Formats: sequence, C-alpha cells, structure tokens
Amino acid sequence: MRHTLAMLLQNESGALVRVAGLLAARGYNIDTLTVVTTADPAVSQLTLSLQCDDAGAMQLLQQMRKLIDVLQVAHLPAAALAA
Amino acid sequence: MSAQLQAAETPPAHPLAGATLSGADVVVQVLADEGVEVIFGYSGGAILPVYDAVFRYNREHARPDAREPMPLIVPANEQGAGFMAQGYARASGKVGVALVTSGPGATNTVTPVRDAMADSIPLVVICGQVPTTALGSDAFQEAPVGNVMGACAKHVFLVTDASKLEATLRTAFDIARSGRPGPVVVDIPKDVQNAQLEFDGASRLPIHGYRARLRAVEHSHLDGETCAAFFGALKQAKRPLIYAGGGVIAAGAAVALRAFADAFGLPVTTTLMGLGGVDTTGPLALHMLGMHGTAYANYAVEDCDFLFAVGARFDDRVAGVAAKFAPRARFIAHIDIDPAEIDKVKSVQWRHVGALVPALDRLTAYGRAHGVLPPLADWHAHLAALKREHAMDYDRASDLIQPQAVIEAINRRAQGRAIVSTGVGQHQMWAAQYFDFRAPRQWLTSGSMGTMGFGLPAAIGAQFARPDALVIDIDGDGSIRMNIGELETVTTYGLPIKVVVLNNGGDGMVRQWQKLYFGQRFSATDKSLHKKDFVRAAQADGFEWAKRLTDKAAIEATIADFLAFDGPAFLEVMIDPDAGVYPMVGPGASYAQMITGDFIRARSAPAALDATPHMF
Repeated sequence: MRHTLAMLLQNESGALVRVAGLLAARGYNIDTLTVVTTADPAVSQLTLSLQCDDAGAMQLLQQMRKLIDVLQVAHLPAAALAA
Repeated sequence: MSAQLQAAETPPAHPLAGATLSGADVVVQVLADEGVEVIFGYSGGAILPVYDAVFRYNREHARPDAREPMPLIVPANEQGAGFMAQGYARASGKVGVALVTSGPGATNTVTPVRDAMADSIPLVVICGQVPTTALGSDAFQEAPVGNVMGACAKHVFLVTDASKLEATLRTAFDIARSGRPGPVVVDIPKDVQNAQLEFDGASRLPIHGYRARLRAVEHSHLDGETCAAFFGALKQAKRPLIYAGGGVIAAGAAVALRAFADAFGLPVTTTLMGLGGVDTTGPLALHMLGMHGTAYANYAVEDCDFLFAVGARFDDRVAGVAAKFAPRARFIAHIDIDPAEIDKVKSVQWRHVGALVPALDRLTAYGRAHGVLPPLADWHAHLAALKREHAMDYDRASDLIQPQAVIEAINRRAQGRAIVSTGVGQHQMWAAQYFDFRAPRQWLTSGSMGTMGFGLPAAIGAQFARPDALVIDIDGDGSIRMNIGELETVTTYGLPIKVVVLNNGGDGMVRQWQKLYFGQRFSATDKSLHKKDFVRAAQADGFEWAKRLTDKAAIEATIADFLAFDGPAFLEVMIDPDAGVYPMVGPGASYAQMITGDFIRARSAPAALDATPHMF
C-alpha cells in the first residue's frame, strides 16, 4: 500500500541524495517527492510517498532517522493524506 | 569553591584559539586534539597541503626520543590504509584515521569504508578533493566522493565553506564514535586546505537531529517495570541463553556482560563479531553460533526457551531462517543501541534501545536486589553434555595437514592472548572456531562485508595500536593475494607480525559451496596450477623468516620457531585441499538441519541436502 514519509532535512548539498539513495539501496521506487524550503533557510521540508508494506514503512522510518541530515521524520497516516 | 566550579564548567580555551592557521594545519591540529597517534595514508596532488602539515607537525612536536607524535604509515594501496585504520580501531577501540588523495585515492578506500559501516567500526577518512572551482568539471583525479561514500559511510562531508572546516572535522569524530559507531568521510577541496582560517579550538556542527536522537538513546533508562518484566520471564525459563554480538565489543560492555551472566548463571554464545565478549574458555561459554558455529552452540539455540540478544542483530549468518531461529524460545529479549535493529528480523517480546553498559549493569543490580537466582543445574548439565558429545573435531588421522591442527598448535602457544586477524573464507571460520579469545578486541575479522584481503592490513593497524602484543594474521592463499602488496609494509615498519597462509590451492569456501550445491563444478576457484611462490614473495619483501610447512610431523616445531622469531615472520602451510568447514547450517536451512561433517557427532540425522543454489 502507499505510505507517506515527511521529514525536515538540513539544507545541505547531498542531503536529498542520501534520502533517495537509502530508498534505492533497499529496492524502493519513489512515487511522489516534494522538497521545499522553510522559514529557516537551513532547513528543507521533504515529503515522499512510495509503495511498501507496513513493516517496510516502519523500517524505512527507522533507517531515515539514522541519516545525520534528517532533523525529524514522521510517517503520515493515510487519513491525513485524504484530507 | 565557586571559582573552581566555574573553572570546571568552562573548559580552558585552546592554546591556539584565535591563531591564524591554514586549512591543512587546522586538519592536523584537530587530529592531534582528538588524540590521533597514527595516520594511515597515501599522498597525492589534492591532499599535498595536509601531508606537508603532518610533516611539519611531526618535526615541530618530535618526542624526546625523536619519535614522531603522529606518524604517517604508507600502504601499498589506499585500500590497505583503510583496513589498517580499521585494524587500529578494532584493536584499540579508538577512531582509526586514513588520509588519502582525491579520485583514485578516495575510491580505493570505498571498500574499507563500507566494511567499517557493516561492522560498526569508527573511522575518519579524510580525502583530498579538487579545488571548489573545479568541482564537477571532470578535473584530473576527480571523483564524486560525496555520492560514492554517501551510500557506504555513516556520513560524508564535502567541505565547501572553509570557515566550517574545523567544526566539521571535530564533528566527524563525534559521529564516528557515538551511538552505533561507523566511518565518516571528510572530503576537503585543495583550496580549503590552503585557506587562511582563524582557529577557535572548540567548534562543532550543530547536527541537531542526530544529537537529539543520540541523547535520547544514551539517556534511556531501564525502569523498574521493564526490569520486572525481564526477570519475570527469566524466572519462568528453564533453559535461558544469551546471544551476544559485536555490540558488546563496540560498547566496551564485556565486563558488564560477564558480570550479568555470572550473576544469574546464564550461558553465552557469541556471534563472529562478538568473539571475546566473554572468555571463550569459560564453562558456560558456548563459543560461536550460526552458519559455521559450534554444534553445541547451535543445539543450545535450538533448545533454549529464553533468548537474550545483546548487541546482536539476527543477521542472515545467524538467523538464516528467522522464523525457525530459536524455535522453542517463548521469550526473546533484545537490547541494542540502534533502534532500527529492534524487530527488524525477528520480532521480540522485550526490547530496550540504549547503551549496553548501563542497561546490563541495571539488570544485574535489579536481579540481585530481587534475589533472582534461577535453578539452572539441569540446563548447565545439558549444555556440558552438548559440549562433550558434539565437540569440535576434524580428520586427525589424515596424512595431510589439517588447517584446524595448525590453528590448535598456534592457540596452544598464544593461549587466548594473541590478536588474530583474518581474510575471508574457510581459514577465517577455522580461526573463529579453534582459537580461544579471552578478552575483547583480540579478534579482527571482516564479518558482515566479508572482504577478502582484510587480514594483512588489519594486522598492521593492530600492531600500531598494541605494539607489544602478539599479532597473527591467519590468511588464505586467495585472501592474501588481494592485498599482498602490504607484505612490504610489514617489513618497512619492522612490525613483528606473524603471517600464516593456509594454502589449499584456491578459494576453499566457494569450492565448498560448489561441492555441495553446484555439482562439483569448480568454476574459477582452483588455483593449484597458479605460479605464485608465497615464500619467495615474502622473502622478496624483506621477510627474513619465511618458510613453507608441508610435513604434518613438523607442525609443532615449526609453529614454535615461527612464533618465537623476533620480527616479521611468514609461514605458508600446505593444507588438505578437501578440508571443509563444519558444522554448516546451509543457506535456507534451520539449525535442526545443520550438517556436522564426518568428525563432529550430529544429534539427529540431518535432513537431505536441499540444493538451493539461489540462496546466498
């Protein structure tokens, strides 16, 4: 099923590559991806969605938290997307 | 009093604070401040300013006995430098440092960086890079280090803002050694090395997200309720077992683990990476579990009803079929510092994310205070019988030299006190099985990545970490070929390393799989007709003691002479090419289906071999 992860990321060169690379290395394909600046120029907000099972989504969440550039990451419930 | 307190709260300013230094001098000063006592690296155009700064630092800070405070150890290939830094880190527990140039210098270190990541070894690898103005221009010796290393390392920094160089380097050490340790790469363009900078002596990058998550893990505390749940289950258990991994070594938790196991009479089996976490000669030590673990450890895993995973991650060489791993365990508990490892492979009944030492100390104290002393006499007797009846053994009657006999002969003299490094393959498993390890950081092996060629450079790094220790590289004829250029490095620096090549004329472990799963078609693994004369190669690289052992009757005397030699020594042993590594839990098999070979008694007839060549 579709899962959505949202994160705040340090606005460093290479940060997006690390997020995308983490997914690619685990064989996931990104369905949608948005990266925008925030009020703090040092911080970007990234939202992505992909197809995976629930356990896979939880593991991805934990793996994203190991990236040094990731400030916060959350798994968005499906209901939040429908709204 | 208050003045003293204030002094304690504010660290004194760095003596060089406010001074103007070049970027290269900043690099060397931060290394010195971080306690770096040896650098492994190979020079080149894009890292020249830093090499010059190291040279000047060593000249200006020479010790009274003229020794350099931060010697540069030069390998034959940058991969060697990376594995030397790893050997140093694994043997000492400190951060290993490699210093290489841009392009090929950097890409040659990709393998040791990935290997360090996979085994959670703290490294800082500093790479020169083309000037910032040339980045992305396909310049001479340019490689996309950020992209390449970013996929392999714990983190990679490309320093494009010279004013952040100092903070970045200090932060690299923080990241490498904190939490679950790992390699950090710092890519420094040449113009940043040449920039004139004001040194501040203390700055760090904020990396808020990482530091906040680290604080949460480091300060996580086992509350009374969680302890009570743990001991409630332990009290119900009749057959508890500790499964300890490399996290015990990385966390410096061997003392805490031994105290915990002793307090409640719990037996311990360790992973390949956890060897030395407990004294393998102890009565309740079951040595290694897993694909090539001891039969008695694997049977104990089959039999246990309570399993406590400590700094271990149920990887595929241990829990190849996770659903059938520890099938009778009604309660599995898991402690790790990495939240991503909890419930990743095997879902558990009790979990704690945190540092091992405080967690184990807390459990020990809680159990003692509550008078927990499980009556485990029957279980202990059962394990003693398993150890007796399914002991490690091999073809002692053969006229050919058996590799296990060579390792036993070395072990009788080393007595569990030597530092042992290995390549990857059969010799690695025989060394893991037949050596005793009395303390942590004596066993240096490429566990997760399985990198052939690891052993020789790792031994070199370890000898720099422990100059007085007996360091032995147990290698294979395939593995040592991978980094054989480092034989010369051993003699260049006069290191008294003992190099053993167990020569079975090819890639024995792959051959073993071809024998079992590929109809004995030995595709590209037979080197019996290759021309290499290892003894002459070692002599050419300056080994005064270099011999070949071919006679079984000469094992004891040759090993004694070899280990007693005061200096670098090289011993090639022509072993039985058909010697296999047993026990073996085949790919896709459960422990109950373990093959024990012809010389170790199996508990039940193993199921027919399921030919599954697609499994790895």
